Amino acid sequence: MEYSFEQAKIIGGIGADDEYWRSLSRGEFRLSRCAVCKGWMWPAHFRCAQCGAWELEWVEVEPRGTVFTWTRSWYAFDRVKERAEDVPYVTALVELAHAGGARVLGMFEGPDEVIRIGAPVRGEIRPPTAKSKNYPSIVWVPDPAVARAPWGGAAP
Amino acid sequence: MSQFRGKTAIVGIGQTPYYKRGASPDPELKLALRAIVAACEDAGIDPRDVDGFVSYASERNDAQKLVSALGTREVRFASLAWVHGGGIPGALGIAASAIIAGQAEIVAVYRSMAESSHQRLRVAVAQNDTAAQYLVNGLESPAQILALRAQRMLEADGVPHAAMRAMAKAAYYHARNNPRAYGRNTVLDDETYDNARLIAEPYNLFDCSRENDGACAILVVSAARARNLAKTPAYILATPMGMLAGGGALEENIKPYGGAGQIGVARRLWAESGYGPKDVNVLQVYQNMTMMGIGSLIDHGFCTPETAGEILQFENLIAPHGKLPMNTSGGDLAEGFIHGMGLVAEAVRQLRGESCNQVPGAKLSLMTGGPGDTMSSTGLFGTFETL
Ligand SMILES: [Zn+2]
Repeated sequence: MEYSFEQAKIIGGIGADDEYWRSLSRGEFRLSRCAVCKGWMWPAHFRCAQCGAWELEWVEVEPRGTVFTWTRSWYAFDRVKERAEDVPYVTALVELAHAGGARVLGMFEGPDEVIRIGAPVRGEIRPPTAKSKNYPSIVWVPDPAVARAPWGGAAP
Repeated sequence: MSQFRGKTAIVGIGQTPYYKRGASPDPELKLALRAIVAACEDAGIDPRDVDGFVSYASERNDAQKLVSALGTREVRFASLAWVHGGGIPGALGIAASAIIAGQAEIVAVYRSMAESSHQRLRVAVAQNDTAAQYLVNGLESPAQILALRAQRMLEADGVPHAAMRAMAKAAYYHARNNPRAYGRNTVLDDETYDNARLIAEPYNLFDCSRENDGACAILVVSAARARNLAKTPAYILATPMGMLAGGGALEENIKPYGGAGQIGVARRLWAESGYGPKDVNVLQVYQNMTMMGIGSLIDHGFCTPETAGEILQFENLIAPHGKLPMNTSGGDLAEGFIHGMGLVAEAVRQLRGESCNQVPGAKLSLMTGGPGDTMSSTGLFGTFETL
């Protein structure tokens, strides 16, 4: 049977983002915007509050942005215990200016000194694993294209 | 000022002991009954006369399960406030509104939690409604999700880490005098805080609320009825619930991002009550995590990110003589955590003069609802002379 994230589907939140996960499983990073007025909408929702349209479109965008905030988890909580061996691990919330300022969560892989608010990162798409709850995922890594150390405050 | 202001009062408080999570000798339903009956005894009200039942979040012990043990003559009103701890003052507002509208006369507002008869408390509190974006990326607990918020407030907004430490120390300091407090034996000094085990940066163990088994209930009646009862009434001045545009279940895309999501309700609290931050004598600040308590204080106008370091110093936060005495029972961090409901009881005790860390002559008592959800609520209570 072909892989689908829906086999492990997590019910929670708004729940209009199936196409995000479907895209990732095809190796594409797509975010949503209104099909009529083209306004970015993230997370995806069922209706555009700006123009009232009910249709979304999923646009392939470059997974590149800056760290908006982050945390390093030192404890494997019950519902994410698959990551116990990775503790401490870092999760980053990344802002994508070219997609309406959408902020997208992902794991961060890189040196400790890099993870600062404003640090430039790019996303790598990873296949589903138990750790990612059998969902495909985006992992944020330092972006060498705009690298200039130290990162502190020098982000674009 | 609103038609709601001062029309009702809290006249009874009842609490079971705080048990270690999973260690309650009684199941949740029995704890709820014990708390409601204790609130009735405190108020001098026959439990059979309670005709309204209100709770919030994922409370499962609804009126149907309670009435036959209470001997309830008639249930006339029952309701639940949405969200999590953010709904607590909102639940009081529902109770007060029902009384003002003539739908009920004596309303119990309560919360009961026991891990043994349910599931892991933090999972129960999350109501199994956590978006895939979080779980896929290693985030499950409010501690982790609100750590994202805290890190932004530290690194981008400029709130100093020392303010978090002061909030934790004040809670544990007050717990020392509270025989009910689960954390009463912990001496939290700077060194202990600084060396504590990290949970999710920037939070360590002492930044996070406890998880306890237990129940807490309060009784709301009309102001007219309150005047003839045993205890000094704590009049309900305002309990606004809601959120502003830019909030919602937005997976960290809320605007503004820092703070507690209480800017709108705080503005309404001051407008509806006719008071402001400078008038408040004592505060019970819901702290699932220290930085979120700071967010509530910022949203309510007690400080700004820029002044947080100067204002939120330990000496300012403690009873009896601090300028901003808060969490005088030990609060969610150090007294115990029945999903924040213990804060209501302490807000009332301060107005009665019954707190174990009494602020002398306290007349205006604030209780902020759970921060972090962008829908929240906040409550201001006062003595007769504040009406
Ligand atoms: Zn539109």
